[in-house]
Amino acid sequence: MKNLGVFTRALRNVSRRKIRALLVIIALSLSVAILISIPTGIMANQEAAEQLSANYDSYLENMETEITTAATLLEVSLSPGFAAAGFGGGGPPEGGFGGGGFTGGFMSRESFFNETAVSNITTIEGVAAVIPVLEKSEGTLETRSTQFGEFEFLRPEYTIVGVPLDDSILSNYPVLPSEIIEGRTLVEGDSGVVLLSVNNTEYFGVGVNDQINILGSDFTVVGVYSTTVTQEMTNLYMSLSEAQEITELEGEISRLDVYAENEDVIDEVSNDITAMYAEFYVNTAESRLEAITTMAERQVDILEDAEADLVETQAVAYMEIGIAVVATSLIVLFTMLYTVRERTQEIGVLKAIGFSNGNIMSQFMLEGMFLSIVAGLVGVIIGMVGAPIITQLLLTGLSASNSGPEQAFTGRQIGIPGLTVEASIATPTVELLLIVFAGAVLLGIIGSLYPAWQASKTSPMEALRRE
Amino acid sequence: MNDLALKTENLDKLYKLGGRQVQALSDVTIEIQKGDFLSIMGPSGSGKTTLLNILGCLDKPTHGEVFLDGKNVTKVPEKDLHKIRKNKIGFMFQTFNLMPWLNAIENVELPMEGTKKSKAERQKRARELLEMVGLSKRIEHRPHKLSAGEQQRVAIARALANNPAIVLADEPTGNLDAKTKYEIMRLLGKLNAEQGTTIIVVTHDNKVGSRAHRMLFLNDGKLLKKERKGSHLMKLTCPKCGKEIQPDDTFCAGCGKRL
Repeated sequence: MKNLGVFTRALRNVSRRKIRALLVIIALSLSVAILISIPTGIMANQEAAEQLSANYDSYLENMETEITTAATLLEVSLSPGFAAAGFGGGGPPEGGFGGGGFTGGFMSRESFFNETAVSNITTIEGVAAVIPVLEKSEGTLETRSTQFGEFEFLRPEYTIVGVPLDDSILSNYPVLPSEIIEGRTLVEGDSGVVLLSVNNTEYFGVGVNDQINILGSDFTVVGVYSTTVTQEMTNLYMSLSEAQEITELEGEISRLDVYAENEDVIDEVSNDITAMYAEFYVNTAESRLEAITTMAERQVDILEDAEADLVETQAVAYMEIGIAVVATSLIVLFTMLYTVRERTQEIGVLKAIGFSNGNIMSQFMLEGMFLSIVAGLVGVIIGMVGAPIITQLLLTGLSASNSGPEQAFTGRQIGIPGLTVEASIATPTVELLLIVFAGAVLLGIIGSLYPAWQASKTSPMEALRRE
Repeated sequence: MNDLALKTENLDKLYKLGGRQVQALSDVTIEIQKGDFLSIMGPSGSGKTTLLNILGCLDKPTHGEVFLDGKNVTKVPEKDLHKIRKNKIGFMFQTFNLMPWLNAIENVELPMEGTKKSKAERQKRARELLEMVGLSKRIEHRPHKLSAGEQQRVAIARALANNPAIVLADEPTGNLDAKTKYEIMRLLGKLNAEQGTTIIVVTHDNKVGSRAHRMLFLNDGKLLKKERKGSHLMKLTCPKCGKEIQPDDTFCAGCGKRL
C-alpha cells in the first residue's frame, strides 16, 4: 500500500492538463490504429493474392481441359469473339476478356441471326451436330472511356441462355453447366423452368423451387450451378424456345455450336461454313487455344505486375509502420520532456521534502505509461472499427474495380481480366490487437525513459531557484 | 554534541561563475541547540540561501563539515541525502510550494510517503498537524482555495510531518502581508515553545528576524561575530501612526485608521 501513492500521483498529474493529455492520446491512438490497420490490410491483401493465384491455376486447368474435350467444337456467330475483341477490335467486353467455357463462349451476346442456318450447316460434310444457342444479356447501359475510346457497354445483371432441351444433345454435348450444387439440371421436355447460377440466386433473391419473373414471364427454379468462369457467372439457362419468346427474338439465335465428326475435318468444316456464310466468324479449338494461351500469358504478366504492386505496397506499408512506431515514441518523449521542464520547481520541492531520484523517475515513467495505456485502448478500438477505411487510405492494393461494400479489404474486388476473387474484409486478429497494444505501452515507456531520468537528475537546489 | 541539533565547522562554498571563482560562504561555524529558534539575517547576496541549502542537505560545502542531529551529513553520498531530508529536515519556502493538485491534508501527507507509516497513520498525523496550525476546517481545500497565510500554515504542517530535527524556513513571510507575517511568526514561535521544534528562519526582514531567540548575521558569505538575541515578540504597528496594535484590531486606537 506504500506505493499506491505513486500510481495515484501519476494518474492525477496526467489528468491535471486535460487538454494536453487528450491531444496526446488522440495522436498516440491514431498511431496505434495505423499500426493495427496496416498489417491487417497486408494480411487481407496477401490472402486475396494467394487465393487469386490458386483460382487462376485451377481456372487455367479447367480451360485447358475443356478445350481438349471440346476439340471438335467450332463456334459460329456474327461477332469476332475474343481474339479480335481483345486485340485492337471493339475494346474489352464488359466483365473482362472472357475465357469462359463453351457454355458461355467467346462471343458477344448482342448479335442475332436466323436459326435457319442450323439446317444449312447441318448439311456440310463432316458436321456431327449443330446446336443453336440464344444469349441475351439484361442490365443497364453505361458509357465508359477506355484506351480504345468511348464505348457504350451493357452492364449485365444476368444473361438469358436458351438451349435446345433435346436429350440427344444434352447427353452428348456440354451445353449446360456441369457442377450442379442444388436441385437438378434441365432435361428434355422441361418448360417454364430455369437453371440459375449462384450469382443469379443472390441477384433475384430466390432458391430452388422458388418462382422467378423474367421479362414478364414466370419460371420455377429447378437447380443452381456453380462456376469459376466469369463469363458464366450470371448465365440463366432455359429452353431455347422460351428464351426466344420472352426476349421477342422468335426464330433468332446468337451462335451455333458446331461439332465436327473428328479433329481431322475441323479445318474443312470451318472453310465450308465460311464459304456458305461469309458474314460468320468461326472459332475453332485451335484458335481458342491460341487465344487462351495469349490471354494466359497476358494474365501471367498482370499477375506478376500485381505481385510486384503488392511487394511495393507492402514496402510502403512497412515504412508507414516504421513511421508510426517512431512517431509514437517521439510524441511521448517530447510531451514528457515538456512536462518535466514545466514541473522543474515541483521536482525540486519533492526532492527537498525527501523524495528519492527513483521516486521521481517512477512517477514520470508511470505518467508516460498511463498516457500510452489509454491511447493504446482507444487506438485498438479505432483500429478494430476503422481498419477497412484506414487501410483504404494508406494501402493502394492490387489494381481492381470497386464492386460494392461487401468486396475486399479496401472495398474492392481484386482481380485480373477474366478472373476475380473476393478478398476478405480486413479484420484485425486478437493476437495483432494484443501485440500492438503491448507495443504501444512499451513505446510509451521507452519514450518516457529519458525525460524521467532527466527529472530524477534535476538538482533540487537549482530547481527551487526557478520560478 | 548530543544537545546540538545542528553544527557546522569551517564551512566554505565556492562557485565557478563565468570562469572566475566566487566565494559564497567563508569559514562559517555555527552551533544550534535543540529547541533553538534562530534567524539568519543578511542582505541579498550575503550567502543566506547558500547556507540554508547546505544545512538542508540540498547542497554540499566545498570545505568544512555539517553535523545534523549528531551525524556528519557531509560524508553521506548524494544518492542517500534524500533520506536525511525526509527524516531529519522540514522545509518551508517563500512561495509555499504546495502541490496545487493535492488538497491540504494530502500535501501534509506527502513527505510521509515511503515511511513505515500506514495510510491511516499518515492521515491521522496530517489531521493533527493541520489542527495544530488552525486549519482543521480546511483540510479538503486545495491551495488555490486557501489564502496566502493559510497556505503557509499548510506548509508549516507539511514541514513537521516526519518530526524533523530541524525546520528550515527560507523567507517564510516574504509573500505575506504584515498581519499574516505576524501570525506566521507567532505560530512558529508557539511551535518552538510548545513542541520544542528547532527552527531556523532565513530572512532579510529585521522585524521577522527579531522574533527568533537568536539572530545571526551574514555578510559577503561571512558570519559576523555580533549575535543578537531576539525580542521574542514581534510587534504589530499601525501603518499610519506607528502605534502598536493587536492582530484582531479592526481600527487603530491611536489614529482611528481602519485596519
